[in-house]
Order: sequence, then structure tokens, then C-alpha cells
Amino acid sequence: MGGSRTRHWPHTARHLSTHHQARQIANGRPVVAILLEGDDDSFEQQLADYGPDEIIRVRDAKLKRASDRTMADVITALARAERPDSVLFAATPQGRSVAPRVQTQLTTGLTADCLDLRYDDNLLVAVKPSYGDNVMCEITCPQARPQMVSVRPNTFAAERVTNSQTVIRDGDVPVSASVGDTIIDEHVAVSTATGVNGARKVLSLGRGAASDQTVALARQIAAKLGASVGVSRPLTDRDDFSVEQQIGQSGNTIAPELLINVGISGATQYLVGIDQSKLIISVNRDDNAPIMAQSDYVYVGDADAFLKSLAKRLGIN
Amino acid sequence: MKIVVCIKQVPESNNVKFDPVTHNLVRSGTTGRINPFDKNAIEAALQLRDAIGGSVSVLTMGPPAATEALRDGLAMGADDGYLLSSRAFGGADTLATGYTVAAAINKIGGVDLTLFGRQAVDADTGQVGPITAELLGVPQATFVNKITPDATGGLTVQRDLDDRTQTVALTTPAVITVRSEINHPRYETPVNIQDSFTKTITTWTEQDLNLDPDRIGLAGSPTVVTKVYAPTPTQRATRPLTGTPDEAVDQLIAQLQRQNLI
Ligand SMILES: Cc1cc2nc3c(=O)[nH]c(=O)nc-3n(C[C@H](O)[C@H](O)[C@H](O)COP(=O)(O)OP(=O)(O)OC[C@H]3O[C@@H](n4cnc5c(N)ncnc54)[C@H](O)[C@@H]3O)c2cc1C
Ligand SMILES: Nc1ncnc2c1ncn2[C@@H]1O[C@H](COP(=O)(O)O)[C@@H](O)[C@H]1O
Repeated sequence: MGGSRTRHWPHTARHLSTHHQARQIANGRPVVAILLEGDDDSFEQQLADYGPDEIIRVRDAKLKRASDRTMADVITALARAERPDSVLFAATPQGRSVAPRVQTQLTTGLTADCLDLRYDDNLLVAVKPSYGDNVMCEITCPQARPQMVSVRPNTFAAERVTNSQTVIRDGDVPVSASVGDTIIDEHVAVSTATGVNGARKVLSLGRGAASDQTVALARQIAAKLGASVGVSRPLTDRDDFSVEQQIGQSGNTIAPELLINVGISGATQYLVGIDQSKLIISVNRDDNAPIMAQSDYVYVGDADAFLKSLAKRLGIN
Repeated sequence: MKIVVCIKQVPESNNVKFDPVTHNLVRSGTTGRINPFDKNAIEAALQLRDAIGGSVSVLTMGPPAATEALRDGLAMGADDGYLLSSRAFGGADTLATGYTVAAAINKIGGVDLTLFGRQAVDADTGQVGPITAELLGVPQATFVNKITPDATGGLTVQRDLDDRTQTVALTTPAVITVRSEINHPRYETPVNIQDSFTKTITTWTEQDLNLDPDRIGLAGSPTVVTKVYAPTPTQRATRPLTGTPDEAVDQLIAQLQRQNLI
């Protein structure tokens, strides 16, 4: 096959940042999005807004609640037919479960949970953290094809394209029913609506801003600002926060326009989740806290005093 | 139920440092430990055995020193261990590891359930479980936080996929990878530690497993690590907001207004 073709295949429309990233690195290579959807779904337009050259859609009732194995078999069949040069997955739990099964059927390399991607000539260089984000590795797949990676969601902010010229066609591959791994029930995590993933503004609280009173005040401020409340890991011990609000390595990677950190020290595992934020403000009483050097504006002082002033200024009593 | 738990020996600490001269990785702590997520897998296996009977084996691919990790698994209560060890296995990426592990599961024979940790804390991939499942041709459930045996010999499991939870009916044989939320791994007791030395550890090489030399170790690994370095976060200006909290907030609000954020 002449030339190299970048294909990029998150299997749901959920993590659109992956589509954006494929376009960013494509540099003239055609970008194809793979869409597996149930027979009454239609995510095409949502996906087209992120500018792939083509969408290959497989629409089937059996894909409504498909097992990892069913999805992997569909994607493998498409890969065998289309012979892509590179395949990107969103590094969501689902993506990280399906991609290795595809990799195995295609006998090729897969690099998990990448923070960055680039092409050196036609070699896809995947930048991936290891040892709990303490180390960065560059990994390539020199011989086997396709070159497969999963990309941590939101390491790039997803940007829409105006007037995209996406061609949509149906993929002609069989969809087998899930056997031996039947999904008998599925429900959306309760707190998703208030999660930090995809939020445009985030007010994030750490151990230095963890009292009930502070949390309550921060919620009022966030509501006024139109921000989601995020937390560092220690605060997920509270009943009112979970991994949905957690920012960092074992939580969410965020890319908001505005991030305000209050009482957060800035451990590596936290910092890796905020690096793509546009404007970062941090409040900490310790001017040596590592979070400070990773911020655009800092206030050295007490979290409560700062939040109280901010609440007052925003007209909250 | 015949259960095999795949475990990896990982460095004692993730506090890796770089040698400023050679830029090589300097791992602090010399001895290894069981990958913490794999202890959750062992605990899940032991609970299943306690509930419905059967056996629990621990299995690792690694250098002879990885026997330590197997002993720890035996001291938690596993019945026996398998060490897949050979120079030829060195440099394996996840695909070559999965290939070797899957061959061992097949050789053990009659395995109903193969359990994995969510991911190894050094490599952070979580791929070996699904790769092994694909090679064994069996269904999988990943990111599992609850396992319940059902009346027909299958398993009902709950998967936590961050944005949603799924309940999956699994037939056996199957592969499960577990989240750390699933349980609290039990401690080794002095009696169990003593017992662990009487339990059998079987060592297999590529000959015992009849493996294709092109699919193991470095030769069987499609990916290569070309560079290792310390992360450098984006440089930021770190401008101070000064004065009293009220004054600092005024400066902040002015900034946000300038950038159309409020
Ligand atoms: C494998 C692994 C994965 C991890 N994943 C994550 C992750 O995804 N996300 C995450 O957040 N962490 C994660 N961690 C934990 C991480 O290492 C840190 O422990 C955690 O981020 C610390 O949270 P913190 O900054 O809120 O608390 P601390 O480190 O305790 O910092 C509190 C800060 O608040 C300041 N402070 C205290 N009182 C006040 C006050 N009154 N006013 C102003 N400032 C005040 C202090 O100066 C300090 O800087 C992970 C760890 C490991 C080992
Ligand atoms: N060398 C190994 N031997 C046995 N099991 C392994 C090995 N490497 C990884 N595993 C298993 O696969 C899981 C995922 O590892 P990884 O894909 O490397 O993140 C681990 O939690 C272990 O259960």
C-alpha cells in the first residue's frame, strides 16, 4: 500500500480528544474514525465535528452492549480490510481492555496510556509515563503494523472544526454476539454529571482545603463561576467525592480553560493530570509547594481566607 | 474451581531517579515485591476458593529472584507456584509476556479462571491480561470490583469502567483483571510463611512450554523503548497575587475578566 495512512479508532464517541489528537499529528495522512454503535444510535455528526476525513461506521443492535471480545473482533476485521498504518484508541478502561485483544489478533505492538504522540518520518513515537508517572518513555514499533497506541483522554483539549468535509461510510464486517461474556446490566456512574472530565473550568481542592465548611464554600464558588469541583486523591476518601472528581494519574487528566488549585501540594501524580490546563491559579500557604512552579498565578496564604474573599467578591454571603 | 493468578515482581519503590551523568534510571531499593494490584488478584482467588472450593496457583514470568514473589503468594495461602524463567524470556514486552503466560496456562491444563492485577505499577499498561485472554480464546472481564460465583459454575462480575458500571455474566474458562477496590489483601501469617516453604514451585523454560523462539523475549516483542527521561512539565510564569486575600482576589478577578473567563 502506498503512503502511510493514519487511522484512528476509539470505539465510542466519548473521548473526542483522541480524534482531535489524530488530526494534530496526521500531517497530511488521512484520518479515519471508527464508530461502533447500536442500531438506534447516531454519533456520526458529533464525531464529524472533530474533523476526521472519513468515518467508518458499524451499526448493529449487538453493539449496543457489546463485550470487549465482540468489539475487538469487529475492529480487527476492519483493520484487516483497511490496513491502517496506525491505530489510536482512547485510554479509557474500555479502550484499554479492547485494544490489547486487537493487538494480539494482529500480532503487532501496542503502547498503553500515552501522553503524547508524534511521527518521526513514518514511525509513530509514543510518549508514555512509567513508574507511576515518575519516568517518561518513548516507545516505537519499528516493524510490525499497524502501530497501535492508547492515548490518555484529554491530554489534548478537543477542538471542533468548522465545516468539516467528513465522508461517512458503512464498514462491511460481521458482528458476532457476545458469548460467555454477556453484559446483563449497565448503568452510568451516578456522579458523571458533576465529574471534572471535559469541564471548561475546574476549582480543585486538596488536603489544605478539606474541611466540610471549606468544601461547602468552594461548591458555592464553583457554581457561581460555572466550574466543576475537582479534588486531589486524599479527598476521594470523603463520601461526597469519588474518582469522578479526582485529578491526576489514577483519576482524570483535564484540559480546562481555567484551573484553580486550593490547598494542593502538587505531587507528580497530580501534576500529570493538569499539565494541559490553559490558565492555572494556585493557592497554598507554602510558597515552596511544587504546585506553585506549575502555576501561572499563585497566592501564598490561607485557603479559607482566600475562598472567603473570593466568595464575597462573587456576591456569595 | 481451578484458578491461576498471574503476578509480577516489581521494584520496591517507584521513586526512581536519574543518574545525572549517564541519564540512566537508578532504582532505589534493591529487592522486589509483588505488584500491589496482584495481591488483590490473589486475595480474590483465595476468597473464591474459600467459597466454592478448588485450588489457587500463583504464576510469574521473571528471573529466578522472582521466586520471592511466588513465596509471598504462597504465604498468603496459594497452593502452589509456577516460575517461567529463562534467559530467552528477557526483554519481553506485553505481547511476548502474554504469549509465554498463555502457553503456561495451557500446559497447566483445566484452568477455569486466570486472574490478573489491574496493571503492573512499573510498566503501567494493564495489557497482559487481555492479551492472554485473546491467546487463550476465552472471554474476559477487566477492571472488576466484585466477583460472585453463580449456581451454574459461571461467575457474575461487576466492572467499573469509570463512566459506567457493568454487570457481566462470564462462563469459564475466563480471564479477569481486578481493581484494587475489590478487596483488602490478607496478611501473611507466621504459620503460612512457614508452610510456604513446603509448597511446590515448578519452573518451566521455553523448552518445557514448547514455545516459538520468535515469539518470546526480545525477539517476540514488537515494541522498543527508544528513550527514557524525567518528565518536564510545561514552564509557567508563576506570577504572584499579592496583598490581603481581598486584594489578591481583585487581581485574580481582573485576570479572569481580561481572559473572558467570567
Ligand atoms: C500510584 C499513585 C497514584 C496516585 N494518583 C494520584 C492522583 O491521581 N491524584 C492525586 O491527586 N494524587 C495521586 N496520588 C497521591 C499523590 O502522591 C499525593 O499524595 C496527593 O496528590 C497529595 O494530595 P494533596 O496535595 O491534596 O495533599 P498534600 O500533599 O498533603 O498537600 C496539602 C497542601 O495544602 C497546603 N495547605 C495546608 N493547609 C493549608 C491552608 N490552610 N491554606 C493553604 N494551603 C494549605 C500545604 O502546604 C500542602 O501543600 C497517587 C499516588 C500514587 C503512589
Ligand atoms: N512477568 C509477568 N508474569 C506474570 N504475570 C504478569 C507479568 N507481567 C504482568 N503480569 C500480569 O499482568 C498484569 C498486568 O501487567 P501489565 O500489562 O504489565 O501492566 C499484572 O498485574 C500481572 O497480573
